[in-house]
Amino acid sequence: MGKIRVLIAKPGLDGHDRGALVISQALRDHGMEVIYTGLRQTPAQIAQAAVQEDVDVIGLSSLSGAHKSLFPKVIDALAERNASDIPVVGGGVIPGEDIPFLLEKGIKKVFTSGSSTEALASYIKQLIDPKEKKLESPTKIAHIGIAVNNIDEVLSFYTDSLGLKVEGVEEVSSEGVKVAFLKIGESRIELLEPIEETSAIKRFLDRKGEGIHHIALEVDELEERLSRLKSEGIPLINEEPKTGAHNSQVAFLHPKAANGVLFELCQHQENRGAE
Amino acid sequence: MDKNYDRNWKQEQEWRDSVDRTIKRFPERKDTFTTSSNIEVDRLYYSRDKNAEKLGFPGQYPFTRGIQPTMYRSRFWTMRQYAGFGSAKETNKRFRYLLEQGQTGLSVAFDLPTQIGYDSDDDMAEGEVGKVGVAIDSLQDMEQLLDQIPLDQVSTSMTINAPASVLLCMYIAVGEKQGVPMEKLTGTIQNDILKEYIARGTYIFPPKPSMRLITNIFEYCAEHVPKFNTISISGYHIREAGSTAVQEVAFTIANGMAYVDAALESGLDIDAFAPRLAFFFNAHNNFFEEVAKFRAARRIWARIMKEHYEAKNPKSWKLRFHTQTGGSTLTAQQPDNNIVRVTLQALAAVMGGTQSLHTNSRDEALALPTEESARIALRTQQIIAHESGVADTVDPFGGSYYVEELTDRIETEVEDYLERIQVIGGAVQAVEEGFMQREIHQNAYETQKRIEANEEIIVGLNQFQLDEEVNPDLLKVDEKLEQEQKQSIKDLKQKREHQAVQEKLEALRKASLQGETNLIPFILDAVKAYATIGEICNVLRNEFGEYTGM
Repeated sequence: MGKIRVLIAKPGLDGHDRGALVISQALRDHGMEVIYTGLRQTPAQIAQAAVQEDVDVIGLSSLSGAHKSLFPKVIDALAERNASDIPVVGGGVIPGEDIPFLLEKGIKKVFTSGSSTEALASYIKQLIDPKEKKLESPTKIAHIGIAVNNIDEVLSFYTDSLGLKVEGVEEVSSEGVKVAFLKIGESRIELLEPIEETSAIKRFLDRKGEGIHHIALEVDELEERLSRLKSEGIPLINEEPKTGAHNSQVAFLHPKAANGVLFELCQHQENRGAE
Repeated sequence: MDKNYDRNWKQEQEWRDSVDRTIKRFPERKDTFTTSSNIEVDRLYYSRDKNAEKLGFPGQYPFTRGIQPTMYRSRFWTMRQYAGFGSAKETNKRFRYLLEQGQTGLSVAFDLPTQIGYDSDDDMAEGEVGKVGVAIDSLQDMEQLLDQIPLDQVSTSMTINAPASVLLCMYIAVGEKQGVPMEKLTGTIQNDILKEYIARGTYIFPPKPSMRLITNIFEYCAEHVPKFNTISISGYHIREAGSTAVQEVAFTIANGMAYVDAALESGLDIDAFAPRLAFFFNAHNNFFEEVAKFRAARRIWARIMKEHYEAKNPKSWKLRFHTQTGGSTLTAQQPDNNIVRVTLQALAAVMGGTQSLHTNSRDEALALPTEESARIALRTQQIIAHESGVADTVDPFGGSYYVEELTDRIETEVEDYLERIQVIGGAVQAVEEGFMQREIHQNAYETQKRIEANEEIIVGLNQFQLDEEVNPDLLKVDEKLEQEQKQSIKDLKQKREHQAVQEKLEALRKASLQGETNLIPFILDAVKAYATIGEICNVLRNEFGEYTGM
């Protein structure tokens, strides 16, 4: 697939093109070919330019309040030219309550004031390149991590009282922890004990005491998923996968991403395709 | 030391004399100003050191500390809220409401078709009628807009550029109908076309004929409308488009010099028009930089006018300016936070010595302001004026090591830019080559990247977000308006004297072909015959051509 071609257009008489220009440059930095129409384009001119330039997507920008009348006219003008397959996204000063109307009229998505250029770029990539869409939703909870001061002291509760089976105990030196896995259905409980003063678990225990530390979700395509999340502005602790217990690949999202809940994404050998 | 002391003493004496003269005309608001602890607040705090000459006393060249000897001790800045939406009738209601609420000047926002010289029934106007301002098609709309507003008492600022001459003529014509002669009219037209090419986009004609219209206005007003500010040289939109504070001042002053050059070239005397040049700046969030920016701009302009253009009248040296708080600093997220941003920005403008001020409303990142939002914005100014005490002494930041250093640095960096623009061949040339546009865009892009990388924190946007945003009530412009406005043009065209309109338009066309002829009297005649703004601008489009962008 060649470069994604984008037409950025200013319908109507509005002269504010700071956003249109910034977005044009940002999309270029994402490797796209961007054509900017300049100011004061009629819907017909925009549709014509889109067809002539053979673009993959159109971005409309309006800050004058004319979006409700002009955006749907661009959709109509595309239809008249048998070009309804070109998706149209919009942005600018657009009140939230107008968005359902615009979506109904055929605008694919509306990016309002404060949207990041990264989110727009990744949206366009997914929209245009179907290969990018393939990421499956997480299928199960891989494990629930519980921080403890000493595994040996608590293990009997899990094994004797609850009757769970220990799968194994190992030290993950990169994290400064010792972990014990207890199988429960298709998931596990992971007990974490710090073995170094500098480990994150030690800091967690000092601050909050023992208790649930994180929830791990089983995923595939970890690397791709992380870059996707990053481009959407989700705060990450690990931007690259690292090696976790059981030779898995893992990465943590920042708790800011989920109201204080620490999520781990992990990918086990069997999910990594042919190796 | 002694030499400085003597010279400063002379400056100080001159200032004291000017204070006496000023107070006779504009008495101070109070006999004595005091703090809450009953400490008396002096009119001015200063020291007799080597800096005194560089700063000047208030009202004294080079006006670093302000253009009047007593500043806000006598009169507050003019509180001037930009308003306008929908029809002339609706906007008239909002104006009268704002005047009742204690606003002291009007400021008209026009819709985009008006600003680009299209009638509401033009194809190009579709969807835009009455959206960002009031739709004015002819003198008839202007009569409704200003209904029951006494033009001899209210000063009116009109944000109009390419067709500024047409709207000015409509204003003159309404004044005449009210029995107010044009010599008594006060107000401002923006009339700054260069920044339209750079940043704002509502141009019609190419630069050269546009500059002619502007100098025509200078000349006509110098003679007939002497109290009207003939231009408001605007850095506001340059800043909104993404410039830095230094670029804002530099490009605005460069544009100002281009207008002065054009007027001089057309044979006007510098002191005949320079006192009516006004400026329009932005106020963003970096508080001290903004304060310093205004002080630096005054000093640079004073020097340019006195030393470079050799203006003799001290009024020609004074940079008088309007300020609006920064629209692009407002966030759509948690809109009430914008009230706080606006307060800080307004305070910076007041500390910088602004002559008039518009405070933005909290909901402007989402839509035009509601009446409630517009009222809070005005109240913000009133609280600064009446409750904070910051207006009780002149230039309270004068002498601050930080602010004086920033003022000097901004001045130096602006001068570097002015030199670069001069090398290119002046502002008109720099605009045509896209120099300023590129500089501004580069900074806009860098800013966006810094925000997305969280290197620049915008509260509520990339930090301290709320999970759920509350949807505020927003102002809606009635969609029926466009139809009503179209109908009203149709009716007007039926009832006006067709023959007279055609004659006046033809006379304007002929005059436009003669480069030496001042077009304003011809436009005034056409306006009075109820020619529409579209008809007048089309005559000029046909003769002057249209600017189509870079």
